[in-house]
Amino acid sequence: MGQLIADGILTGAVLSLGAIGVTLTLGILRFANFSHSELVTWGGYFALTFIAFAGTSAETFGPLSFGWSFVGAIIVAGIATAGLALLVDALVFSRLRRRRAAEMTLVFASFGVALLLRHIIVLIFGPQAVYYTGTLQFAVEVLPGVRVMPDQILVLVLTLLFVLGLHLTLKFSRLGIAMRASAESPDLARVHGVDVRVVIRWTWAIGGGLAAAAGVFYGLTVQMRPEVGFTLLLPLFTAALLGGSGSVYGAVIGGLIIGLSESLSVLIIPTGYKQAVPFLILLLILYLRPRGLFGDVAR
Amino acid sequence: MTTRTLALAATVAMAALATGTTGAQAQDCTIPLGAVFPLTGSNGPIGEPIAETARWAVEQMNEAGGVQGCEVEYLLRDTQGQSAVGVDAARNLVDVQGVPALLGAISSGVSLPILTSVTAPSEVVQVSCCSSSPSFTELAESGESGGFFFRTLPTSRAQGVVLGNIASQNYDEVSVIYINTDYGVNLAQEFQDAYEAWGGTVLESVAYNQEQASYRPEVNSALAAEPDALVLIAFPVDGSTILREWISFGGPQEFVLSNALRSDDVLEAVGAQFLDGAIGVDNAQVSGPSVEAFNADYQAAFDADPNRPGIHINYDAAAVTLLAMAAAPEATGPAIRDHIRVVTNPEGEEVYPGVDGFSRALELIEAGEPIRYVGASGPISFDENGDVAGPVLIWTVADGALAEDRVITVDEVNALFGELAQ
Amino acid sequence: MMGYVSYLSFFLTLALVYGIATMGLNLQWGFTGLFNAGVVGFFAIGGYAYAIVIGPDRPDLVGGFELPFVIGLLGALVFSAVAALIVGLATMRLRSHYLAISTFGIALTIQLVALNFESLTAGNLGLIGLGRPLEDAFDTPLGFNLFYLALMVVATLVVYGALQLILHSPWGRVLRAIREDEEAAISLGKNVSRFRLEAFVIGCSLMGLAGAFYVGSIGYISPFDFLPIVTFQIWTMLILGGSGNNRGAILGAIVVWGVWTSSGWLISTVLPPAWQVRGAASQVILIGLILVLTLLFRPRGLIGERVTVSSGARLDNR
Repeated sequence: MGQLIADGILTGAVLSLGAIGVTLTLGILRFANFSHSELVTWGGYFALTFIAFAGTSAETFGPLSFGWSFVGAIIVAGIATAGLALLVDALVFSRLRRRRAAEMTLVFASFGVALLLRHIIVLIFGPQAVYYTGTLQFAVEVLPGVRVMPDQILVLVLTLLFVLGLHLTLKFSRLGIAMRASAESPDLARVHGVDVRVVIRWTWAIGGGLAAAAGVFYGLTVQMRPEVGFTLLLPLFTAALLGGSGSVYGAVIGGLIIGLSESLSVLIIPTGYKQAVPFLILLLILYLRPRGLFGDVAR
Repeated sequence: MTTRTLALAATVAMAALATGTTGAQAQDCTIPLGAVFPLTGSNGPIGEPIAETARWAVEQMNEAGGVQGCEVEYLLRDTQGQSAVGVDAARNLVDVQGVPALLGAISSGVSLPILTSVTAPSEVVQVSCCSSSPSFTELAESGESGGFFFRTLPTSRAQGVVLGNIASQNYDEVSVIYINTDYGVNLAQEFQDAYEAWGGTVLESVAYNQEQASYRPEVNSALAAEPDALVLIAFPVDGSTILREWISFGGPQEFVLSNALRSDDVLEAVGAQFLDGAIGVDNAQVSGPSVEAFNADYQAAFDADPNRPGIHINYDAAAVTLLAMAAAPEATGPAIRDHIRVVTNPEGEEVYPGVDGFSRALELIEAGEPIRYVGASGPISFDENGDVAGPVLIWTVADGALAEDRVITVDEVNALFGELAQ
Repeated sequence: MMGYVSYLSFFLTLALVYGIATMGLNLQWGFTGLFNAGVVGFFAIGGYAYAIVIGPDRPDLVGGFELPFVIGLLGALVFSAVAALIVGLATMRLRSHYLAISTFGIALTIQLVALNFESLTAGNLGLIGLGRPLEDAFDTPLGFNLFYLALMVVATLVVYGALQLILHSPWGRVLRAIREDEEAAISLGKNVSRFRLEAFVIGCSLMGLAGAFYVGSIGYISPFDFLPIVTFQIWTMLILGGSGNNRGAILGAIVVWGVWTSSGWLISTVLPPAWQVRGAASQVILIGLILVLTLLFRPRGLIGERVTVSSGARLDNR
């Protein structure tokens, strides 16, 4: 039981990072971006490429499975993925916005972009699964009956730091206020002198950077393969909508709920049905709160 | 990536040169051979090397002189793991390209609709390396497949029983994690029946669905029962993840593994030192000149050991089909179907994989002599339903590499079946 | 030559199967604004209902009633409608993405049930021996393919005609009013949630019908026919063809399915065999590229909705 809860929280933390990007695009850009989860994959592969060139550090940090080169990989992956997100926006989504295309046109353009991004990975890196390190890390018993890998603890800590950083940014910086204003009403924000284009660019950059972090963390604790993003697509959207579209905290809570419910579900139902559990919880929550846990009722 | 592309380009260029110089025998006709495999999607990692192997077999046959003096053209399509896409691809190959025979697919969920709606009605031979569903046998028994379906993968029963037998000799209590596809469900069931009949206890049997963010819940529930060992029935990509999680979370490093996990990819991903002593089963692959010749050829051609699921059996699927095409008087489905058993005739002279083997086979066919193809997975003989019964290999991981432990012959497998029946 | 005819008839059969499902989706999204992301779930229910009604009796399974083809189609319509009614009652108060993710989850659950509920669906093994209608009456696959295509053309025309009829009825006008301005519709005294539910149920039963036709043409059913990607494909057909226009829905189905399948053909013709394995990825890249470019240059789809609500009203007055 304790082990299942710990696992659920750790899986949920990675989902939360990815779900933040989804919820930001839903709230500020106002469309369901199916290609977001491919940014997760790209982030993971950017880090992999960096490690391939920089080499794995001989010295690792204490009980962790990696050293300095991995820190560099996270930073490079974050920047590169943010860049990729901006590139995709410039090539596809901004053009569609300029043409005032319907929301669904953007959604299915993002579906096309997702196919492109995923299979470019297959083309470059091949379909096989890869790992950041060849060495396997052993879980340590942190509580009676609860085993956790040191890497997972670090992932959890970093996730908390990222979320806290994002929280402070949104709450206090000019950019954050502009982003929240644009999420509430783009027109009103524009009237008040917010440059919506800048807000949109930062939304992509932040979403991309966090997606990269999610990808790297996933690769570190599970594995990297071209399908990683695709397998995360549903959990990410479920988490974002469970929390309420546009709500960063909602996305974090949503991610944790998904992680926990999948993990704990094995106690009561056959594992063959495991994937359905988050949706049953989602249905229940939406039945009580049709706009998610933290969604504004106003919009 | 770039080196790989360059290597490919070089191979193509060399192949072009080679055909240019030996073109004296004027192969100006071509006979198409279709193939449908999942190259993208979740089965892409296993589909890619399998599809490559068949292409290589076709290349070797062409080098050996081709089929009835014609070059065989290998027409490969991606199923993307989707039934509808696979069926469409097969329909296109059969109707538009006019292929008389088709290799594939991998999952039964794709191979079956191709059989029922394309190959059987159009009288085209379909040879699958890897579809394990018992439905194929049923369709053959009821006559619906018209005898056009063959598979080089021994039915899962033999493997499940041998798996249960060796597990019962080593462990009293195990947990099973199996993939929730026809392959995993059947094998897990056969295993459990056999294992329990020989006195073992399955503490926990956990199905997992592919393509999930994490398998830790499955690993946890299998681990919670504190078994002596893990019986894992999975494909390499998910299997590696599950093994890593099992080991990381302190599970006993005692494993009984299914055939698809006999893969260098798994050893590399998990770390061979953790798998030391793991045992598993795989089909046929008796050692012997044909298998060794194949392994050496493969090593030379691909610069890799052929230790990946489906390689040997798909090579044989391609080879048997090509030889039957060569032996058949005309390149039509019914003629090829009728000659599949002719080229695997137990009375015939043995011929082996590779260019030399194919050349010899072609000579014998020319001379009207019977042949017996003994392939990359050993001797092959199809029963009346197009299924093969093969010996079962018990393999192990020793000194950081896959090793062959011993071979359970067909007679021994039948003896085990007999023991179970009592 | 006959090969091309045979393949083309098979291709069009599947395209029209998707066309019917796309028209069902068009009723929901194009005319009512319901974001149903669970298309494949209802497609699956129709397929399984058909298979259970017409399939051969199997001792270890529920069902297998060996009833005629037409009864199978009716069964598909009824079962998918009932399922849609249940789903609709639970979810119709949700809006946009919330409805989408809920229906998506329901479709996934339906697929999991198909996978795990073995006494009804035979699970992973799928149901075999589903005879195709009048198959024995034809000597060649070509004959059957042409017959089935003719059947599909008739079915498509019937569905198209029926939809046009109801969409131009007062009922259809209310739907569009809801899509354009829900509050105005409410203020006119329309029971909006009821209209929405009706559109949802009719649309889903069309998806179920399409599922039955799909299984009818293949003769086999398994959970792997109903992967989530099918939902994306059908949505792509609608958006690319032109949402709000049934002719666009049919055209979209043919074009998207054509791109999806012919790209494989193209790749295997263009690339030398040694490159084809890697080429598979480029096939999907090509599909993605065509999709993105089409939407970039025709953001409203190939044939968009021609009439606005007001001119639609004028149309009805003439």
